[in-house]
Amino acid sequence: MKYAIETFDLTKKYKDFLAVDALNMKIEDKSVFGFLGPNGAGKTTTIKMLTCLIQPTAGTGKVAGYDIIKDPNAVRQKIGMVPQLVSLYGDLTVRENAELCADYYGLPRDLKEERIVELMELVDIKYAENKLVKQLSGGQKQKVSIVASLVHQPDILFLDEPTIGLDPTTKRILWDLIEELNSKGHTIVLCSHDMYEVELLCENVGIINTGTLAAFDTPQGLKDTIMEEERSQKNTRITEIMSKIRTESGMDEKALGELDNAIIDIEKEEGDFRELSVMINNLDQDLLEKISDIPLVFNVHQHKSGRLTMDISCTECAINDVLNFIIENGGNITSLSTKDPSLEDVFMKVTAKKQAEGD
Amino acid sequence: METKKIMWMLKKDLMVLWRHKPRLLSLLLFPIIMITLFGYGMGGELSNIPIVVVDQSNGAVTDATLNAIKNMDLYDVKDIISNPDEAKQMVMDGQVKAAIILPTNYDNLTDPQAKNVLIYVDSSDQMASTAVVPATQALFNQISNQIGIQKLEMMNAQTNLIQVQSANVASSAQSNQGVDFNNIINSINFQIDKLYGDVKYIDFLVPAVLAMTVMFSCMFGMGESIAGERERGELARLFMTPTNVSTVVGGKIISKLVIETGRALILIIAAILLFGIVIKGSMLLTVLLLVLGALCFVGFGIMISARVGTQEDYMQMVMPFAMPMMFVSGVFYPIETMPWIFQKIAYLVPLTYVNDAMRTVMLKGGGIGDVWIDILVLIGFTALFFGLGVTKFNRDI
Repeated sequence: MKYAIETFDLTKKYKDFLAVDALNMKIEDKSVFGFLGPNGAGKTTTIKMLTCLIQPTAGTGKVAGYDIIKDPNAVRQKIGMVPQLVSLYGDLTVRENAELCADYYGLPRDLKEERIVELMELVDIKYAENKLVKQLSGGQKQKVSIVASLVHQPDILFLDEPTIGLDPTTKRILWDLIEELNSKGHTIVLCSHDMYEVELLCENVGIINTGTLAAFDTPQGLKDTIMEEERSQKNTRITEIMSKIRTESGMDEKALGELDNAIIDIEKEEGDFRELSVMINNLDQDLLEKISDIPLVFNVHQHKSGRLTMDISCTECAINDVLNFIIENGGNITSLSTKDPSLEDVFMKVTAKKQAEGD
Repeated sequence: METKKIMWMLKKDLMVLWRHKPRLLSLLLFPIIMITLFGYGMGGELSNIPIVVVDQSNGAVTDATLNAIKNMDLYDVKDIISNPDEAKQMVMDGQVKAAIILPTNYDNLTDPQAKNVLIYVDSSDQMASTAVVPATQALFNQISNQIGIQKLEMMNAQTNLIQVQSANVASSAQSNQGVDFNNIINSINFQIDKLYGDVKYIDFLVPAVLAMTVMFSCMFGMGESIAGERERGELARLFMTPTNVSTVVGGKIISKLVIETGRALILIIAAILLFGIVIKGSMLLTVLLLVLGALCFVGFGIMISARVGTQEDYMQMVMPFAMPMMFVSGVFYPIETMPWIFQKIAYLVPLTYVNDAMRTVMLKGGGIGDVWIDILVLIGFTALFFGLGVTKFNRDI
C-alpha cells in the first residue's frame, strides 16, 4: 500500500458553512505527515471525517485501504486517534481506561495485558496506572490518550494538537515518542499549530486554508517554493517597470541597456539575503567599521545589548567569510545565529495569499 | 464482543457511582426522601389534634362518648371540663384546636328534644379543622344512630335489658348483649378508619410516587449518561472504536435499568417499612411494572439525547415533558377529577399507564390480566421512543 490515506473530493458542509471543500490529498504510508492550517480552516473537520467520527457531506476517502463511508468499522480498527480534547473517562483509572479501549477493540485477554503494560512503559505513565485520569496533569492525560489510542496497534495514528499546553520537557518526550512510533512503522498524521514541531517531525506537510489544500510538499520544498515565488514576483515587477520605462520615458536604447545592466548588477550584488546575528564581546568602533566595509555585508546594526545584526549575501561561503574576517581582526564571538526562512513564514504566506484571494 | 462492550458500560457506571459516594448516597436516599416527603407531607393522616371536651351530664352514653373520643388517634384530649365558655376561650387562645361541647341533656334518653353537640373549631388552622369537623360529625352520627336503636329497644323490650346493657358497658364486656355500646365505639372506629384509615391517601399515592420517582431518575439520569458523556468527550472515545450506535444505546439501557431496578426495590422496601404499605397483588409484577416503566422513560431519555450536544440542552428539553407529566398522570389526584383537557392529555403520557397498572396491582391486587392494556401501551411507547432514539442518534462528535 503506497498511500495510508487518500481523499477524493472530501467535503463537509454545516448548513451554509463549507468547512472542507472537495479536498484531494494523499499521505504516504509509514510517513509522518504534518497537517497545518489556521483556526477554522477545516483541519479538525478533515481529521474527524478520516477517523469516521463525522460523516462527509460529499466525496469520500480511503484510510488504511478502507473506504471511510462504506467500511467505517474496518477503518476504526486500523486507526488510533489522540484528540484535541482528551476523550477519556475521568472517573476511571489509567489502566481501566486502557482496558476499556482494549476490550472495545476486541483484543484477546493475554495480549491486552501485555500490550497495556508495554505501552504504559513506552510513554512512561505506568507509575500512575492506578490513578484516576481526572487527577492527572495535562501531559499525563495526553500520554494515557496515546496508550488508549495505540492499544490495538493501529497502522495510522492521528494526533490532533497533541502538545498544546504542554511544558517543553513533556513536549520533547512526546516528539521522541512520535519518532519512535514512526520508526516502528506507524503512519502519523500530526495536526498542529507548532511550526517548529512540524518542521522537526514531519516528512510532508499539507496546509489547509478555508477548506481547501493550499500547499502540500516537504517542509524544505515548501520553503523553496515560497522563496522561488518571491523571486519570481520581484522579477515580474522589474520587468513591468522596465517595460513602462521603455514605452513612456523616451530614453534611448543605449541608456536603457545601461539601466538593464545596472539592475542585473544590483540583483547579483543583493541576491538573497539572510540575517546573521553575532555577539562579539570585544567589539570596538574600529572593528565595527571594518565589518561594515565587508562587500558581502549590508545593513549592519548594533543593538543596545551589543549584539550585531547584518544582512549577508546568500553565497555559498558568505557566513564562513564574515566569521573568518571577524576572528582574523581579533573579534571574540560569544554567540551567533542565522535567520532562515521558516515554515512559519511559509504558513503565513500561504494562508495570507488564500485570504487575499478570498477577499 | 458486543456483550463485553455492554458489560463495560454497566461496569463503568457502577464504578463511577461507587467512586462518587455523595452521588451514590443521593441515589439511594432520593427514593426514600421522595416517599417520606410525599407520604408524610401529603398522604399522612393527621393525628393528636389537641381538643377539649365539655361534659355537662353524667351517664353511660356520656362515658361511652368520652371513651370513643379518647380512643380516636385524631384527637388528643387535653382536658374534660364542664364550662363551655372556658372551652371556647381555650380554642380562641390556641391551647386547643377544637372544643366538643356535649349538651346538658346528653345522657337523657327519654328526653324528646334533640341533643345539640356543639364544636368550636380553630378555623385558622385549615388542615386541623378540615379533619376535625367531618370526623366529629361521623362520630356523633354513629352515636345518634345507636341512641335511636336504644330508644326503639326501650319501647319494645323489658326494663332489665337496659340495666344489663349499662352494666356491660361499665365492665366493657364482650358479650353479644353489650354490642350496643361497644358497637358505638367499634362502629365509630370503623367509620373513622374508612375516612382516614383504610382509604388512606398514602395508599393511593405510593404506587404513583414509585412510578414518578422512577420516571424522574430515568429521564434526568439519561442526560448525564448520554448528553453528559457527549459533552465531556467520553462518548467520542467509544465512537473512535469499531462500535455501533445500537451497542452504545444497548449498553446505556442495560446499565440504567440495573441501577433503576435497584432503586425501585429500595423504594418498595422503604414504602413497606416506613408506611406499612401492603402490596395486594404480586410483588414480582410490581417490580416488573416498575422496570417496564424505567425502560420506557430511559427510551424517552435516549430519544431526547439522540440529538442534543450538552447536558443543559437535554435538561431544558426534558423539563417541559417531565413536569406536566407528573401533574396530569394522576399521581396526586384521580384523573377523573381533573379538567377534561387534562384528562385527554393524561392518556397521551406513559406515566398515566404506569400509575394505573401500579395501583391496580398494589391496591386492588390485580394480576397481569388486569393490567395487560397498560403493559401493551407502555411497550408501544417504549418501542416508539427507542425506534426514534436509535434512528435519530447523532453519532457525529
